[in-house]
Amino acid sequence: MRKAGIGSYVIAFIFLTIFLLPVFYIVFSSFKPSSELTSAAQTFFPREWTFRNFTRAFERGNFVLFIWNTFFVAVLSTLLAVLINTMSGYALAKFRFKGDKIILILILSTIMLPLEVIMVPIFSVLRFFGLYNSLWALIIPPAATPTGIFLMRQFLLKIPDEVLESARIDGASEWRIFYSIVAPNAKPAIATIAIFSFMWRWNDYVWPLIAIASPRRYTLQLAIANFAGEYNIDWNSTLAMSVVSMIPMLIVFLIFQRQFVQGTVETGMK
Amino acid sequence: MQVEQESKSLLTFKTKMVPYLFLAPNLIIFSIFIILPAIIGIYYSFTDFDGLRSPNWVGFENYRRLWEDDRFRAAMWNTIRLVVATVPIVFMTSLFIALIIIRPLKARGFFRASYYWPVMISLIVVGFMWQWILNPRFGLFNSVITGLGFNASSTLLDARFAWWGVVFIFTWSRAGYYMIMFVAALLSVPVQLYEAAQIDGASKLQRFWYVTYPSIKPARIMVFILAAMEVFKIYPIIVTFTGGGPFRATRFTVQHIYETAFQSYEVGYASAMSVIMLLFVTVFTGINFFVSSRGERDA
Repeated sequence: MRKAGIGSYVIAFIFLTIFLLPVFYIVFSSFKPSSELTSAAQTFFPREWTFRNFTRAFERGNFVLFIWNTFFVAVLSTLLAVLINTMSGYALAKFRFKGDKIILILILSTIMLPLEVIMVPIFSVLRFFGLYNSLWALIIPPAATPTGIFLMRQFLLKIPDEVLESARIDGASEWRIFYSIVAPNAKPAIATIAIFSFMWRWNDYVWPLIAIASPRRYTLQLAIANFAGEYNIDWNSTLAMSVVSMIPMLIVFLIFQRQFVQGTVETGMK
Repeated sequence: MQVEQESKSLLTFKTKMVPYLFLAPNLIIFSIFIILPAIIGIYYSFTDFDGLRSPNWVGFENYRRLWEDDRFRAAMWNTIRLVVATVPIVFMTSLFIALIIIRPLKARGFFRASYYWPVMISLIVVGFMWQWILNPRFGLFNSVITGLGFNASSTLLDARFAWWGVVFIFTWSRAGYYMIMFVAALLSVPVQLYEAAQIDGASKLQRFWYVTYPSIKPARIMVFILAAMEVFKIYPIIVTFTGGGPFRATRFTVQHIYETAFQSYEVGYASAMSVIMLLFVTVFTGINFFVSSRGERDA
């Protein structure tokens, strides 16, 4: 293939700055002292560097608790998502049973019912089941994802039936077949579901907004949204919190970049 | 003999149950947290439920009221206008950067990762970030334009600026995601098609228009539908960017439903709004699938 011309590089760099500079600017701003943050003449880099915003954020309003809540929710919900979506994907890929087509269509059609449309009655349902204002409301319901099931099903269709049959003839239990043959073979799909689930839960706002009332159970996004929505925004701590909230996603992204790219393609192909 | 047969039928019953048991956790969650709320929501929409007292049946009263509700109509209309303005921009931006990224650039992976990175940032932080950059008093935006000799803009206090700001930040935040879908489609266009077009003496633009563009039709439809759905339910990004202001200029359907239900406690009325919104989403996707599948047959 021939090399790209200089023009391509120029355009590529223009978009690079559009996508990256605002993020860098937020990071640099979080190191500015109060006086600089509220000055009409903003500079890209801080004139004076300070860690005060971060220490203040950690002192103020249970910031550590918010991080812990978010982490707790994201990790547990991801584990649950991996388990139940792999199970369902396996059932739909490798079994013929009454109603299999209908169940698949039913699951896929739930994509058409966005959470935003049913948030009002979900509130009632959560109260009825005693999940209101509990972190479990952020862990259990969102773990079941139609895209996760579909992704897993498509992936597991590739496992040859003979492998499962011969294990059955050897007398292996269905559960044993699931965790010792199916799950290890589904690793790439599991990785995709895991990192997407972690990102969704870490960045989620609408579920916490409906389900959580008391500030002690806030997730990071809920806390940032509440601080940023105040009449007198505390720029210092909100900027610091935003920057800290991006760090885990940056780490996950740098490690699993390939899976993200792959997963975006696969989850899009609903 | 009898015993053997019985244990055999028990065994087949057990094997028959296996797939249902594997599906059970998901199906239980879907039933309780999606299907049940959907049914309850439709029921609420015919009541005067206020979140506390037991609901009274009011028939179509909520829907009749919606018909005359200027605020709801304004929010819906504003959302539809946003979809119409944003989707083509997101579509073209993501296709454009996908076309750049498939060129044989050095450090292609780095460019692709950088374009994708905003996708990883929560919508709450994206909204806040841009509020910080664009705010009229001490935003970088105003510092830059006054530095260049222009007058300071009232930025987010200006209705038009804020509205187009939403279009821009949504595009900024989501273009990388749709870029990836286009890249996958573009890379699977058969090379022979390009070679044939080149032999026929097609120009670069002609090759794009007659070879590339038709070949990526499935991806185009997908991006179009997904982006439209996403804009239609826009909310978190607004919370920290403008909060719906100035003067309701960036107030869209979901925010209106949320506030009607959880701040004015008109749960029944808000449920009727949700039903209308759902109808819109369903009809929109239905039309799209219909039109796109018909196009397939014609081709």
